[in-house]
Amino acid sequence: METTGTLTHGPDPLTRMAKRLQLRRLLLLALLLGAAFLGLGYRLVDLQILRHDELHAKALRNTLYQTTLEPRRGDILDANGHILATSSFVKTICADPSLIGPHHAQVARLLAPLLQLPEADLAERLQPRLRQNEHGHILTNRYVVLKRKVKPDTWLEIRHALSNLHLGLDEKSLSKAQRAALHDLRSKAIFADPLDDQLREYPNKSLAAHVLGHVGLSERLLQGSPILETSGKDGLELSLNSKLAGVHGWRSSETDRRRREQLTWRAQHVEPRDGYNVVLTIDSVIQHFLESALAEGMEKHDPVSISGLVVRPRTGEILAMANLPTFDPNQPGSNPDARRNRIITDVMEPGSTFKIVVVSGALNDQLVRLSDQFDCEHGHFAFGGRVLHDHGSYGSLSVERIITKSSNIGAAKIGIKLGNQRLYDYVCNFGFGARTGIPLPGEVKGIVHEVKDWSKVSIAQIPMGHGIAVTRLQMAMAMCAIANDGWLMRPMLVQRLEDREGRVVARYTPQRVRQVISAQAARQTVAALKTVVSSEGTAPKAALEHYSVAGKTGTAQKAGVGGYMPGKYISSFIGFFPADNPELCITIVMDEPRQGYYGGQTAAPLFRQVAERAANYLNIRPDQIEIKQADNQPATAGPSTRNPGTVAARSPANP
Amino acid sequence: MFDATLTDRQGRLDRLQIVALLGLMFLGVAFVYSATMTTDYARSLPWYHQGWIRQMVWYAAGIGAAVAICLVDYHTLTRWSFVIYWITIAGLVLVLIPGIGSTQGWGARRWINLGFFSIQPSEFAKIGFLLAQAHFLSRPSDELHLRWNFWKPIGMMVLPFVLIFKEPDLGSALVFLPTGLAMMFVAGTPRKYLFRLAGVTGLLAALFLVDVLFAPPGWWKIKLEDYQRQRLLVYFGVDFAPPGASAEEKARARKLQLEKSYQIRQALISVGSGGWTGKGWHQGNQTALGFLPPGAAHNDFIFSVIAEEKGFVGSVTVLTLYAVILFTGLRIAGQARDRLGKVLAVGVVVLLFSHVFINIGMNIRIMPVTGIPLPLLSYGGSSVVCSLIAMGLLQNVYIHRKGY
Repeated sequence: METTGTLTHGPDPLTRMAKRLQLRRLLLLALLLGAAFLGLGYRLVDLQILRHDELHAKALRNTLYQTTLEPRRGDILDANGHILATSSFVKTICADPSLIGPHHAQVARLLAPLLQLPEADLAERLQPRLRQNEHGHILTNRYVVLKRKVKPDTWLEIRHALSNLHLGLDEKSLSKAQRAALHDLRSKAIFADPLDDQLREYPNKSLAAHVLGHVGLSERLLQGSPILETSGKDGLELSLNSKLAGVHGWRSSETDRRRREQLTWRAQHVEPRDGYNVVLTIDSVIQHFLESALAEGMEKHDPVSISGLVVRPRTGEILAMANLPTFDPNQPGSNPDARRNRIITDVMEPGSTFKIVVVSGALNDQLVRLSDQFDCEHGHFAFGGRVLHDHGSYGSLSVERIITKSSNIGAAKIGIKLGNQRLYDYVCNFGFGARTGIPLPGEVKGIVHEVKDWSKVSIAQIPMGHGIAVTRLQMAMAMCAIANDGWLMRPMLVQRLEDREGRVVARYTPQRVRQVISAQAARQTVAALKTVVSSEGTAPKAALEHYSVAGKTGTAQKAGVGGYMPGKYISSFIGFFPADNPELCITIVMDEPRQGYYGGQTAAPLFRQVAERAANYLNIRPDQIEIKQADNQPATAGPSTRNPGTVAARSPANP
Repeated sequence: MFDATLTDRQGRLDRLQIVALLGLMFLGVAFVYSATMTTDYARSLPWYHQGWIRQMVWYAAGIGAAVAICLVDYHTLTRWSFVIYWITIAGLVLVLIPGIGSTQGWGARRWINLGFFSIQPSEFAKIGFLLAQAHFLSRPSDELHLRWNFWKPIGMMVLPFVLIFKEPDLGSALVFLPTGLAMMFVAGTPRKYLFRLAGVTGLLAALFLVDVLFAPPGWWKIKLEDYQRQRLLVYFGVDFAPPGASAEEKARARKLQLEKSYQIRQALISVGSGGWTGKGWHQGNQTALGFLPPGAAHNDFIFSVIAEEKGFVGSVTVLTLYAVILFTGLRIAGQARDRLGKVLAVGVVVLLFSHVFINIGMNIRIMPVTGIPLPLLSYGGSSVVCSLIAMGLLQNVYIHRKGY
């Protein structure tokens, strides 16, 4: 009967009412459904449109994974490619004490020999510690750094040892939870920090320590999060840090729930650019010669410090640079006296070595000739209210002999003849009072007063190296200028930069600063300097068997608070050889030597020791063979009396 | 207004509904693929183990079943309804027996393993219940005034509810209630009964919730699985820790709460991060990187996947497709030849709607998490086949409508 139901001829009112009721209820149901769908739709608008930014940020936080990739720090090589400093990737070994639980003693016994740490100390650190957080919840510490800078091999050994760890338990009788704990202990309790650390190694220990400097850890903000990174703290490591450090790479990617990176979702991967290798002008063999000579000098004369420098005068290349006391850059320690590179950071009154400035200046201005005579007043010269002294009592000395004998009075008189302004000009032109520009941090300018600040006696004091403060490097470079036909060179320490494949990235060439004196004046000065190592000069001990040597001694009383300190000297010798075709210029400076204090007694022998070995090693062509033979043939008194050094030094004494 | 004359040439099928169904099935395949093919392991599986291919097989099986059902007049079908009903009830009993029912590695015993695939008897019980309830309620409307005829359909509804609740599968059990009640409502059960029923149900539900959420420890509690209780606590935002717990207990409870609400938080993030147009098909990182639980993304949380990858446009498309199916379903109910057809159609519509609302609701956190599939989209053979059988019943009512 329902099948025929229409409103026009319904069979009976009851059925019609029932049908209408059903229809009404059907409509009501449709309305309910519609309302429910609107509800869902509204919620979707709320979530996907209104709250999209907030939820999108949450989704990013879920998956985003950004990490930096550390570049390998470049090596530092000497001129022959020997490694002076190198880097390797190392691990930071950490532990999760909460996974170790009661087994800390056993784990410590296993790890102590591998990590080379005391077992008791290790056991204590591995012991879980409990603390209460702000919610009053008790937490176990989950992160302890056991040791930094562990070699990858050692880490592999540790992994191996742990995975075979036996705790003396019967594993079959353990419950499932205990087995899981054992598995965690073996595989997760000790772990390496995911970010590799770098270990900087200096295989030659303290060799060239002051040139190389050292590195340290510093914290840097990278993309808002602090990272520890190795950076240079001193020496070339500091001044060339940007070249050595390289450029961080990064990876931007996504991770799954367990923070494992998903390769297919990697968005960016930029490889780090490894740091450049720095090739120095330093020759580690010569450096070693120099350092062993300095060590001998240290033993013999027990000075406060002793510094040495080997430079090629023609180019300004520094072949060796050393100070004692020194340090091991592998463990820099905290003694600033040992870490200071005195050659550039300390100033001193140069003393007699400075006479080269006034003499070469006067020769250059052609105010004097080498043969011009000066009255040296027999050792006492009153000037400007002071009395100047000489070491000996000299009458009239030629300019050349003033150098030979290192007469203060003679130098002062040449200075007076040269005049304030010209002397000042030469002092400045030789590079004093300005940084040489060596690529090392901490270089100082020294102290050169302007002429207007000079006292009356300055013109007599400055020529003999008093009343002026210079660095050892400035003094050496000035001597090199005389050796190099008057051309002052910029000291050179870095030859080139290379990438890891050995391709040259940058090459540095010798740089002339200026011509201070004419080549002729330079040659005349060299002739005078050659006499210094003769038997009549102040440094016969600096003479060499096969080479002509030009050089100058210096013995300056140390200036302290309130005047000069009696008995405290800075003794030095700066010389180069072969004198007329200079290959090497060697500087030795001793601060407060004990047994003897004259530069000719203390520093000159060290000069000779370094020069002989370096000349041998570098195969420098001797310039005195024939002369020596010619000299030897008449002197047939016997080989025992032969003193080749003296002979060699004396023979070229005629300018 | 639903009259039709014999001269009208009527379509044999409700085409609009068929189009919407095909649309959903297309989305189903596409997003089951997107949600499952996220790891190399998944890609390396043989084709017959790949979710999207299996899903297509289920669609084919379901369409076949639906076509078969359309071939037989629903009057004939409902004559067998009580037999079907009791067979499905037997299935529900069987699944509770440990040797026969299988947990598939999940906590609940919901499946009967048949080797190559396993079936979920609760899905088939829904069909059985629909037919039996429609058959019972199609008796002359006077008889519905009888008290006994009010309690009988309620009994038919509560029996599978209790059995499924025991599995436990709260979500699937729950859908019986609105479905049964809506069918009674439309069939014309007197208002006073319905009011009383609504009152009693509401009171019971309130008591249930208060007991679960607020009862202090030591009180008698409704037996719920821990995870079910936790899900309800999460939904209503009630602290896990009982009042008066120590600080340490509270902290632990808070941590547990964060853990337990992880799934739902991630679903919300997935939906919200989709924005207007989504991240693109197969580009949803919440899904692919396992933040939406990989075991659930392709079935219970497929809506989150679509919302993440296709954004607001995609999720509204899904809602629209369901709305089309449901309202054409209600139109079919209105055009039905008799009350049997009407009640059956309403049953199908409300059953489907309950699934859609509960599932999408839990994806967007307006319903508590109860494991319930999204019909036709979620991966799962029993659900797909039974949904298509239900749609076949709907089309059957349409084919044999008035003016036939």
